[in-house]
Amino acid sequence: MSDGSTFDVQVLLEGARIVAVRIDDEMIVKEVVGDWCEIPVGEDVRDAVPALIGLEDELAQELPYIQMPFVSLGDSHETPVAISVQRDWKTEALWVLLRDVSEEAAVQERLVHQHNALSLAHRELAAARDAALMADNAKTRFLANVSHELRTPLNVVIGGASILRKPRETPLPVEDVLAFSNDIHDSGVLLLQLVDDLIDLSRAETGNLTIHEEWCQPSGIIDEMIRLTRGLAEAEGIVIAYHPSANTPEIYADPRRVKQILLNLLSNAVKVCKPGASIAVETSVAGSGDFVLIVRDDGPGMSEADLAIALEPFGQPNAETRARGTGLGLAIVRRLAALHQAEFSIETAPGEGLAAITRFPAERLAASAGR
Amino acid sequence: MKAHKVIVVGDFGVGKTSLIRRYVLDVFSDQYRATLGVHLYKHTDTIPIAGTEEQVRLVLWDIEGAPLPGEQMMRYSLGASGAIVVGDLTRPDMAEPMRRAADMVEARLPGRPIGIALNKRDIAPAPDDASVAALKDRYGALIACTSAKTGDAVPNLFRDLTKRILGGKAGTV
Ligand SMILES: Nc1nc2c(ncn2[C@@H]2O[C@H](COP(=O)(O)OP(=O)(O)OP(=O)(O)O)[C@@H](O)[C@H]2O)c(=O)[nH]1
Ligand SMILES: [Mg+2]
Repeated sequence: MSDGSTFDVQVLLEGARIVAVRIDDEMIVKEVVGDWCEIPVGEDVRDAVPALIGLEDELAQELPYIQMPFVSLGDSHETPVAISVQRDWKTEALWVLLRDVSEEAAVQERLVHQHNALSLAHRELAAARDAALMADNAKTRFLANVSHELRTPLNVVIGGASILRKPRETPLPVEDVLAFSNDIHDSGVLLLQLVDDLIDLSRAETGNLTIHEEWCQPSGIIDEMIRLTRGLAEAEGIVIAYHPSANTPEIYADPRRVKQILLNLLSNAVKVCKPGASIAVETSVAGSGDFVLIVRDDGPGMSEADLAIALEPFGQPNAETRARGTGLGLAIVRRLAALHQAEFSIETAPGEGLAAITRFPAERLAASAGR
Repeated sequence: MKAHKVIVVGDFGVGKTSLIRRYVLDVFSDQYRATLGVHLYKHTDTIPIAGTEEQVRLVLWDIEGAPLPGEQMMRYSLGASGAIVVGDLTRPDMAEPMRRAADMVEARLPGRPIGIALNKRDIAPAPDDASVAALKDRYGALIACTSAKTGDAVPNLFRDLTKRILGGKAGTV
């Protein structure tokens, strides 16, 4: 039957062991007796037809017939063969038929390959579509949040103003007028802050948030920002501590943006802390040469899930503090840090306070830059 | 020296061929060429067992990938001493095809050791500990985050699986 593309192998079995293989192809070269290829008991047969390894046991378990359509030796010649193994119950012989299937294989292989490559591309597309949908949802949520956040202070402004201008027989008492104008003023300030934050955020998203870097001394900036927030903190009975060290290195950064980072972190800390709490600003140079700026508070801290929310725009896990900030602070801090290639992270746990860590890379330090 | 059959199964394109070729031939290619049917690789390895170096002969069955183990995959699994189930860490839907392949192995080759390769670690983050622990508990499997590209953890996974195969059949080796 040896027509070049097809060949037969006959394997003789003694009990469950293969004792001889007949093959009319040169695949097995051993002691040839007539048109038989005689092989001593054992491993040599398995060497010649590795596909049979393990199958002896299966066939011994009275499995009548095994067929494997495309088998090839991956590490040597790649002629794929179809293998059929059948046990002849009368003679106890095991018949193994190997058929060259290289032509079918070539066609099938192309098909399988195309099918697989297409399926993979399809999955990637589906994943990209899901991601796009999610981004779209996030945008919709964001817009809903923006309008909500704008509406709240605007309602105060409009409501307050309409009370003030309403004609009435007896004028409003002075305290009321003062209270309404204060509310209107505060809401206006909040609105302005919100609009500024939104502009920064959208610039950051579109890659248009620019920074103007220069060498600056962090301790000066920290002092200034603490002075700005101290009034608010003290009114709440909160202490802010900072002990600048004489050798705080200069960093190459945008001082306005560093101020913004600090101001956001400090006002967040003040917002969550209860009277009697304390906030500390710490700076250090890490072993890696990074400049580390930490704003630490001993407030209520938050869980991992809440932290994930807090890092998103408008994410304020704690409803009580909602009215007191734009909810864009951490989202902006994260982006401002990224603009300086600084790593921003938060370490916190419920009841354990919170540490907001901004790590400026060593290249931004005066010492390592040779200054 | 008895030879052992080890099958390598999983969804297509997850890196089964690449893992075997890394282990046996220490090569890697970025080209994807789908495997049709099964490719056999013979490999003799030296494995330290109980203080002595043991020579072990393996026949690795690189089986055509599919998200669901089909009739062919089952047929090719016959008589295997152990199996490696491969998943692709870059795929969000990695878990399901792996579970199906591992379930097939468990049903077809009861009691034989399973190794799980979470592959393409070089271009994807490691999975979270909980899902790895879940796989380990479910199949009592050896688990490794592998990269066929860099070779990370590849030989060790095959060797650890082989040790388990030999351990389980200590009497007959
Ligand atoms: N980066 C990277 N790519 C890999 C790795 N392993 C495999 N690949 C690539 O993934 C693709 C598929 O790899 P294969 O090894 O052919 O996958 P397979 O599981 O054998 O696929 P089928 O035979 O179709 O089932 C190829 O392009 C490989 O180069 C890996 O560890 N890292
Ligand atoms: Mg393959």
